[in-house]
Amino acid sequence: MSDFAEPLARLIDELKRLPGIGQKSAQRIAFHLLRDSPEVAKRLAAAIIDAKEKIRLCSLCNNFTERDPCRICSDSARDHSVVCIVETPYNALSVERTHEFRGLYHVLHGALSPLQGIGPEQLKLKNLMERLKNGDVKELIIATNPTVEGEATAIYISKLLKPLGIRVTRIATGVPVGSELEFADEVTMLKAIEGRREL
Amino acid sequence: MPLREGEAIVLRTYRLGEADKIVSLFTRPFGRLRAAAAGAQRARTRYGGTLEPLSYIRVWFYERENRDLVRINSTELVESFFDMQKDYRMQVAAQYVAEVAERFFPERQANDRAFRLLLGVLRAMKRSGELGAPLLYFDYWLLRLEGFLPDLTRCAACGRVLDDGGYYGPASEGLCCADCRTPTTPRAVAASALELAESARGVTPEQWLGTSKPAAVCAAARRFLEDLIEAHAEKKLITRELLDAGV
Ligand SMILES: [Zn+2]
Ligand SMILES: [Zn+2]
Repeated sequence: MSDFAEPLARLIDELKRLPGIGQKSAQRIAFHLLRDSPEVAKRLAAAIIDAKEKIRLCSLCNNFTERDPCRICSDSARDHSVVCIVETPYNALSVERTHEFRGLYHVLHGALSPLQGIGPEQLKLKNLMERLKNGDVKELIIATNPTVEGEATAIYISKLLKPLGIRVTRIATGVPVGSELEFADEVTMLKAIEGRREL
Repeated sequence: MPLREGEAIVLRTYRLGEADKIVSLFTRPFGRLRAAAAGAQRARTRYGGTLEPLSYIRVWFYERENRDLVRINSTELVESFFDMQKDYRMQVAAQYVAEVAERFFPERQANDRAFRLLLGVLRAMKRSGELGAPLLYFDYWLLRLEGFLPDLTRCAACGRVLDDGGYYGPASEGLCCADCRTPTTPRAVAASALELAESARGVTPEQWLGTSKPAAVCAAARRFLEDLIEAHAEKKLITRELLDAGV
């Protein structure tokens, strides 16, 4: 039985469904909203509904967008011959923050993860194949996570694209910048050695 | 709280909050445990790649009073099964093994034979690059260790030798012969498949892989044993569907 009045308990329950929010954080947010003016709560509710209604997936790259195609896909100043494949819109943002990459993205919305029931069918691969048909794309950079799931996804895609003759590259993985080699585990060290380059 | 130590196989991980992970471990000395790994989601995690699915590790952890979840202090990689799972088929197969282990092995119950079975099967897959034969070995021994393996040689109803194969249904505990079959036992399994499954008895995974197995017979035997496993799991196995779809 909940210690809170029903509407408050319901708010806490809904907040708890959000990623990274546990019971305590949910309570803190709920109490904060109740203490604040009604306008704050209304603005937040309206913003959530507005975003949910207006934001959809770009039909080309599957990134979140208000207009289709998205800002990046319709930017003629960007290099349309290079596409970077990522697992989530969040990952595209990470690459974008480097300000070094000027190509386009393709968001898979996941990675091959059998235990979660995610196979190739569940990934956004169909419109990737569509995008590659006209021959404009010359290189694909696979920037899935350096995890078992991300690695399996990268290999799966590279095999899928082999017949198309497009250059497929994989982002380097290895020892994180600012860390000490002695703390690297064997898997990480092995990846670092595999990904070595000429100086 | 004392620091405990032991060998373990990582079955799977879940994200916990923004930075941490919950790790489902099958440890050799303590059985299956759920453990919190602080900071494991960060790029510069001190666990490195040790908590990836099916890693064979040595783990040091603290018990926490009145909590199911133990707290991982540190880990060390003993053997990696990371590269093997780059191949999607192998990833599905390896994670099928993990899913079955999670479903069948109760928490905090050491089971050394089960631990050795898991490790042996993973190594067999890694070494051979094959999955049909290693999974058949796993299916057979899992059912045996758990006490769910029926007599593969005789009819459960009349005792007749099943030299023409057997019949079973979703709820049947054993096999029956053609004379004893009923509408509740619509599925057939060939004598060759039963014989192949039975030959996993008394051999190590290495010996088992030493001789080649006809793929079709292997698949037929697996279908039967995995039906039994799924029936005893009392829930659909997510990975089995993917195994059947793409493997
Ligand atoms: Zn786009
Ligand atoms: Zn009979």
